[in-house]
Amino acid sequence: MKICLVCSHGGHLSEILHLKEAFEGHETFFVTYDSVRTRQLEHRYLLRNIGTNPLLMASATLSILRILLKERPRLIVSTGSEIAIPAFYLAKLFRIKTIFIESWTRVDRPTGTGKIVYPVSDVFLVQWEQMLSKYGKKARYEGAIL
Amino acid sequence: MIFVTVGMHTKGFDRLLKEMDKIAGNLGEEVVMQIGHTSFRPQNAKWFDFTTEGGIKEWCKKARVVVTQPAMSILDAQEQGTPVIVVPRLKKYDEVINDHQLDFARELERADKVTAVYDVDKLEEALKKTDSSRVKLVKDKRLVNALKKYIELIESR
Repeated sequence: MKICLVCSHGGHLSEILHLKEAFEGHETFFVTYDSVRTRQLEHRYLLRNIGTNPLLMASATLSILRILLKERPRLIVSTGSEIAIPAFYLAKLFRIKTIFIESWTRVDRPTGTGKIVYPVSDVFLVQWEQMLSKYGKKARYEGAIL
Repeated sequence: MIFVTVGMHTKGFDRLLKEMDKIAGNLGEEVVMQIGHTSFRPQNAKWFDFTTEGGIKEWCKKARVVVTQPAMSILDAQEQGTPVIVVPRLKKYDEVINDHQLDFARELERADKVTAVYDVDKLEEALKKTDSSRVKLVKDKRLVNALKKYIELIESR
């Protein structure tokens, strides 16, 4: 199965890399931000860091739209951050399944991205039990990276 | 050698780097810093802004101790067997959008996974006291296994 891994280029990428064993046996590609670090990833699309810039969010949305149409993944997995927002809403439109994993560094304060993608995520995982009460019934705690 | 790393965060971490630079001037030990988007330029330490995955791991491996924010960088260090001191970025200094790093540092400290320093004035003492024997990282497989299960379920539909 083809899986699209969406994340920003720092700690969120580290989280996905620590979970990479889960994707073994599947074809994967990254959609992440451009940096000296991510240029070394295989099978990747590199976008400009969106941050809080609405114009960059719009341009990233168009780029992700093109990538999804070209690659046609069955599943998108993300550990955040904001780059997941356009990816998850486009996934909803194209009926691509989604798994969001809230950051391990968030004990009981949801991320802005987590709150925004929660309604459209098929699977929504948190890494601390204390976080469960901050989200709805869909959220699950299934352990953490460490 | 002490390696200091502050990651990709778009905000700098001047408070930590200034203190570490001061400490570097007092200690008879080499200090190397990955400064990211911090505007302060260390005088007493070797520094660079960003490097590759391999670059970070190499510095972590060589270090006696790694000083970092409570974030994923702690695993980069611990995977190389290097003990970690964390200093949380704080909202009151505009180093981060909220105090989630403070919560995370407290949890890691409670689980005895890192040494946490909440006030940079205590950092030099913590560096002197830190046990530099190598650490062993034990990863939790539950999350990986759960993900595999969800992926299988999606594939079978």
